[in-house]
Amino acid sequence: MTSENIFVRYLPLLLLAVLWEIAPRVHFVDPSELPPLSAVGAAWWSLLLDGDLWTNGVSSFFNWFFGLGSSIVVGIALGVMMAWSTTIDDIASPLVKALYPMPKSALIPVMILWLGLGAGSKIASIAMSCLLPVILSAYNGARGVDQTLIWSARACGASNREVLWEVILPGALPEILAGIRNAVAISFIVLVASELLVGQRGLGYLISFLGEGGVYDAMFAVVITVSALGFFADRAYLYFMRRTLVWRE
Amino acid sequence: MAGSGIVFGAVSHTYRPMRGRPVLALDGVSLEVKEREFVALLGPSGCGKSTLLYLLGGFLPIESGSITVSGKRVTQPGPDRGIVFQNYSLFPWKTVKQNVLYGLEKQRMPKAERERRAQELIDLVHLKGFEDSYPSQLSGGMKQRVAIARTLAIDPATLLMDEPFGALDAQTRTLMHEELLAIMQRSPKTVVFVTHDVREAVYLADRVAVMTARPGRIKEIVDTRPPHGARTEYQQTPEFTAKVDYLWNLVRDEAIRAQEEEHG
Amino acid sequence: MERVESKSWLSPVWKRRLLRSSSVVLLAVAWEWGARMHFVSDFLLPSLSSVLVRLWDDSVSGDIPVALGLTLARTFAGFSMAAILGVLIGVTIARLRLVRWFFDPIVSVGNPLPKIAFLPIFILWFGVFDWSKIAMVAFSSVFPVVVATWAATENVDKYLVWSAESLGVDRRALLWQIILPSAMPGVFTGLQIALPISLIVVIICEMTMGGEGLGGSMMTSMRFADSPGVFSGIVAIAIIGSVLVKLMEITRRRLLVWHAESTR
Repeated sequence: MTSENIFVRYLPLLLLAVLWEIAPRVHFVDPSELPPLSAVGAAWWSLLLDGDLWTNGVSSFFNWFFGLGSSIVVGIALGVMMAWSTTIDDIASPLVKALYPMPKSALIPVMILWLGLGAGSKIASIAMSCLLPVILSAYNGARGVDQTLIWSARACGASNREVLWEVILPGALPEILAGIRNAVAISFIVLVASELLVGQRGLGYLISFLGEGGVYDAMFAVVITVSALGFFADRAYLYFMRRTLVWRE
Repeated sequence: MAGSGIVFGAVSHTYRPMRGRPVLALDGVSLEVKEREFVALLGPSGCGKSTLLYLLGGFLPIESGSITVSGKRVTQPGPDRGIVFQNYSLFPWKTVKQNVLYGLEKQRMPKAERERRAQELIDLVHLKGFEDSYPSQLSGGMKQRVAIARTLAIDPATLLMDEPFGALDAQTRTLMHEELLAIMQRSPKTVVFVTHDVREAVYLADRVAVMTARPGRIKEIVDTRPPHGARTEYQQTPEFTAKVDYLWNLVRDEAIRAQEEEHG
Repeated sequence: MERVESKSWLSPVWKRRLLRSSSVVLLAVAWEWGARMHFVSDFLLPSLSSVLVRLWDDSVSGDIPVALGLTLARTFAGFSMAAILGVLIGVTIARLRLVRWFFDPIVSVGNPLPKIAFLPIFILWFGVFDWSKIAMVAFSSVFPVVVATWAATENVDKYLVWSAESLGVDRRALLWQIILPSAMPGVFTGLQIALPISLIVVIICEMTMGGEGLGGSMMTSMRFADSPGVFSGIVAIAIIGSVLVKLMEITRRRLLVWHAESTR
């Protein structure tokens, strides 16, 4: 699917960037609705210098990290427990199946109701939204571990605990990591959505604040920043995934 | 010698799936395997030979009947009964060396000693130089050799083999037969070997137990030791071929019966 | 994977069936009982019965049907745009080199972006009424459709294509009669992924921008601290989400009746 050369491959983006610069300047599009790229860049720079970008960025990061992090830890634990014990599975599986098709973003208002307008509701919203994909991937990953691997470990003298940590978790890892990649994407969406909705801090809030204030070039700058963060988070995660799963062909 | 070897006492087993009716897989199987004897379990697909092996390994609960190894009842898996599966069952995230080391780590062997022993076994199965390779980088035959090395590392008194060479091509399989016999010469063990390949059974085993179609019982036990000389030469003799034909007919009857059952 | 089985007086299979079918019911009962016992305030957790009553009242009064209708209309408008555009782009990417060169980085960079961040931009461009929401939906949903269509079109079984070509099919017929039908399952999967995304995006837009629609009325309830209203909104959204998914599955089975997966 790719061309040989990185430059050739990404050239279309460069062309779009050039278009973005030229079209508003020649009034092909309305520059008040689409500021030229250079203006956006300048706005980004001054946001950075002012510290606005940084403080809101840190606030967003805080929400994102704890929301995603808790969903990963709890999700893996729950998913593996469900795979390990038939009793827990029988109780939890129907619940998970029932909750799966529900759009998790619908939970944001409830979280706000329960936890207020600050960081708590955002962290909880992200955690709840990311939990299910992680649980599911941990569950499927653990269930999918070849029975003969477990038996081989037992025949080598491994105890139940050792089987769990040394066979099932590593065996489930590829699927878990794939599920987490999904969760990372969801976490960004819910983070931005919840910050657009309520609150006084965060990159999402900054976007809507700038938009309401009519400072469109700065608004575009933050939108691009958030998008870039989402993109690089995904890329970085992919790299991490490949390095961890180096044992696959 | 009383109490040594393996004794299957009227072992029955029923599969109870979540959906569908229970299926009787084994029906009162009784068999004795002497110490250091190589016994092959031969039979058509679905006759329960693998199930019997898994019961012996302690992987499935024994609901009816009993299995004793050296006088002790089998209740769970243990390092006294090593197992080699058809799909190699190597830990894909571990290197060859780490795989072989696994059982030794479970035995809490001191580090230097287990490193030495692991290397010894890797050399034994002719995989020197591949210590740091991952299973995904190896061929089928090589993977099976790692599996054998891993199992032999903890020196189990009994070796369970579930169609270990079934996934290999004919040439590799022949080579593996030779290697297995050579290893057994060096350190003899009690071996229970499941296969549906009649020639393989006659070639490798001291005795071959033919099982009936489901529900599995022991149909007949045939002695397959070469009367004299090495197995390689025995293979060329007409006595060998006669044995293979005889067993083949036994299995064939059961295979037909199994098919008829399926298509009711 | 072998599981840890618990011992119980009830036959294992029946115990499992009982647990599975009753766990959702048990949760509902626990919710109702917990709310009535006022473990937490009514505000935080209204009782299940009050939520259901509220749901019923709003449905009968027309509040929910109106909001639902708006939400669904926006969802389908945005989804259809994304579907048509996405399939068109996806197929042309797979067939035309130049188009592929152009869109490849756009798709690969655009896919992982949190596209909801663009909502304020769409509001700037299209105003605060329906068009901004629809554009946002289309923008978000077009990516999975393009990716799925591209992959499905590109990965048509080459042996199928070769067979057709050797039977003398021309390029146009090849596309319409061989390639597109073969790609249909993959394309449909992309649509199945895109529809729930469309629904979520509409709801988020409605929540952010207020006004009518399921998302908007939920936010209104929240602002008035009307927790039964918020909870009934969630239930309504959950129901409509499941219904849409189910509808897609049924459509898939009808449409792809020839495909192997439907004959299970």
